[in-house]
Amino acid sequence: MTEQDIRIEAERRASDRTDQEIIRKTLDEGVQTVWDRFALQQPQCGFGQLGVCCNNCAMGPCRIDPFGGKTSLGVCGANVDTIVARNLLDDLSVGAAAHSDHGREVVQVLLETAEGHGQGYQIKDVEKLHRLATEYGIQTDGRATNDIAKDLALGILEEYGTIKNRIQLAERAPEQTKEIWRKTGIMPRSIDREIVEAMHRIHMGVDADYVNLLLHAMRTSLSDGWGGSMAATECSDILFGTPTPLTSITNLATLSRDKVNIVLHGHNPLLSQMIVNVAEDPDLKRMAEEKGAKGINLVGMCCTGNELLMRSGIPLAGSFFDQELAIATGAVEAMVVDYQCIYHSIPLTAGCYHTKVITTSTKGKISGTIYKEFKPESARDTAHEIIKLAIENYPNRNPDRVRIPERPMKVMAGFSEETIRKALGGTYKPLIDAIVAGTIRGCVGIVGCNNPRIKQDYGHITLAKELIKRNILVVETGCSAIACGKAGLLVPEAADLAGEGLASVCRLLGIPPVLHMGSCVDCSRILVLAANIAKELGVGIGDLPIGGAAPEWYSQKAISIGTYFVSSGVYTVLGIPPKIFGSTNVLNLLADGVKGITNSAFAVEPDPLKTADLLEAEINRKRKALNI
Amino acid sequence: MKTVFVRQERCVGCRHCEVACAIAHSQSKSLIPAILEETKSYPRIFVEAVDNYLKFPNRCRHCDPAPCMQVCPTGSLSREENTGSVLVDYLKCISCGVCAMACPFGIIEFRKVAKPAPDREVNAKCDNCIERLGEGGIPACAYACKTGALEFGEINDLIRVSRSDFTTRMITSRGAETEVPVIPENIRAFQAVMEKLASLS
Repeated sequence: MTEQDIRIEAERRASDRTDQEIIRKTLDEGVQTVWDRFALQQPQCGFGQLGVCCNNCAMGPCRIDPFGGKTSLGVCGANVDTIVARNLLDDLSVGAAAHSDHGREVVQVLLETAEGHGQGYQIKDVEKLHRLATEYGIQTDGRATNDIAKDLALGILEEYGTIKNRIQLAERAPEQTKEIWRKTGIMPRSIDREIVEAMHRIHMGVDADYVNLLLHAMRTSLSDGWGGSMAATECSDILFGTPTPLTSITNLATLSRDKVNIVLHGHNPLLSQMIVNVAEDPDLKRMAEEKGAKGINLVGMCCTGNELLMRSGIPLAGSFFDQELAIATGAVEAMVVDYQCIYHSIPLTAGCYHTKVITTSTKGKISGTIYKEFKPESARDTAHEIIKLAIENYPNRNPDRVRIPERPMKVMAGFSEETIRKALGGTYKPLIDAIVAGTIRGCVGIVGCNNPRIKQDYGHITLAKELIKRNILVVETGCSAIACGKAGLLVPEAADLAGEGLASVCRLLGIPPVLHMGSCVDCSRILVLAANIAKELGVGIGDLPIGGAAPEWYSQKAISIGTYFVSSGVYTVLGIPPKIFGSTNVLNLLADGVKGITNSAFAVEPDPLKTADLLEAEINRKRKALNI
Repeated sequence: MKTVFVRQERCVGCRHCEVACAIAHSQSKSLIPAILEETKSYPRIFVEAVDNYLKFPNRCRHCDPAPCMQVCPTGSLSREENTGSVLVDYLKCISCGVCAMACPFGIIEFRKVAKPAPDREVNAKCDNCIERLGEGGIPACAYACKTGALEFGEINDLIRVSRSDFTTRMITSRGAETEVPVIPENIRAFQAVMEKLASLS
């Protein structure tokens, strides 16, 4: 490739200047990345893309002719609607399981901390602990913090297998919304149960009714959003503190030229937050200096990065598509991963440089990496060991192959639901008044990932900019928040890009028009935000002038998030087509039929500008219904 | 003249034809043993994609006259008269690549093939599944295709189906009852989304 070709290709792949710079380096050095693998996979199987391929049993695999030919039934007799709906439920359950099992681990550490077994952990947000304890009917008066925490942890752990047929956290939804769930029979009954039942229904010869399958998909997603994900968020806050606004920096320029760079990647803050705490140890700093470094530079990546940014202001190197690029700077001594969204080929990328990849979860091992198992009772020691390992690797850095982009971008993060409410004076009334007055037209949550089908961050940034221009407040989580951070939208000065109404509110409060609400499990914060606003207004979530979007999603987790948004009453636009186009019935139900149940639906629209039109129209529809 | 007729708009890019082709040209003719064979089999048909959603299964057209045959300096290419297939004598092939330069479709690849063959890369193009045809079968790619993107038959019969469909649609504005049905609405919607995705940025 000529230099010109390389530049054009880098611009085609990513929006961010620092990403483009390192993509050019990978192309120049012949280091394979996600975009190369995507190109090598073309053409991708159309049966799979349409959702009409079933690989569940040993009579198959079967596929339905999408053009209406003779193969209209699988060997088991399943028709296209059954197969498409079953595949969707399968994907969604995987996503719900990922969120909820992450949550379970956090609650377990809360329990072990309360019992005094956790090494280096403590209850940081006692106020939140008390608030949740009260929700769970746990006595708080005159009791020791650890005793309350133990009861609460056991109470939440019980939600995973409860036989009481309801999840306590889901009680936070407005009465009108819960009534819809009860009437439709989609009130989640326990966190694990819905996933297990989904697996059962997917087995051959069980659920063949696509409507029934999709209703269970909605219930399973609710057990994630209002269950497992919410448990993850709440217990992480109790252990590490509820986020409050802070400023930090983002993009690949956060990597340091003269310090030991450690990238903390994945989703769970349990070990990474411990690494943040331990890195302060003066002995480690001295050790780094002995190796010729000026200190230790911790940076976050993906949702682990979001968790650390939200609570500790740790710089954020990038999102899902930046993991290989960070390594390709040649300046990363160690990449520490927990789980979810880690490329399985990451040791191959690291093998092109001196980077050591350290896996830490018994659930997520990758051959070719160094394995340092996370255990709550030895978390501090493990964190210490990992940092030492990175320091010892510093002399192996080859300065001739290092390239670190200039100029990190400033970001403001830390907008938990509690913080937003506090900033408004303890009640949502000022926000509601602004919405009623039309100063702010409504609110949209942009969430989700990166996907090589669309230029990295283009969907997130273009949509966010377009919405704020139309006086629609944007809240974000996950890779979407990182994209907008890199693009400079997460700073109060970005109010200049917003419409007059929204800009005036942002300036008054000193906040950005795009609010970073956390990691992907923190989409539960968006649910709580919507629930509390709805309750103050005395309506259901489905009545609010709000919407959701996932312009660049790729993960099964995003299917679960999108579905719990829609099931909770939030109209949601997907930028990447889900694997359901093989069934007109499934398409119609999700894009239209579900409206009659939740007053919300899915839409598919790749163009972010048209997505903004759809969301604005939905907001206007809801505003009209509310007579505002 | 019998041929494998391509209806490009029906190709979903599953590459099932490629897998079936590789199996048909393996020694064991069976999926699992085939992937364990020492000289690996490989497809002679190529499903190419443009913009990640437009697909075309490209395969030897067994032209007559065949440019590859005309330029081959060693006479290693010949026509099997019963089926019209252009075949390669691997032992005569000198791997000069001139046939590939002459091929209008770019489907000739040089590969090591199972014996009897020299221990070097030779023109290993599609042989029209001559063995299967001899046993009363049809080419493996057309057999494997589940969407009708590849159909084997008398070329004029297959063209007549397309022609009469077109006529029916043009004159009656009908669609569903024609032999080659129109692309269904949902598939059209999917293709539109993919087209839009490809056009972004």
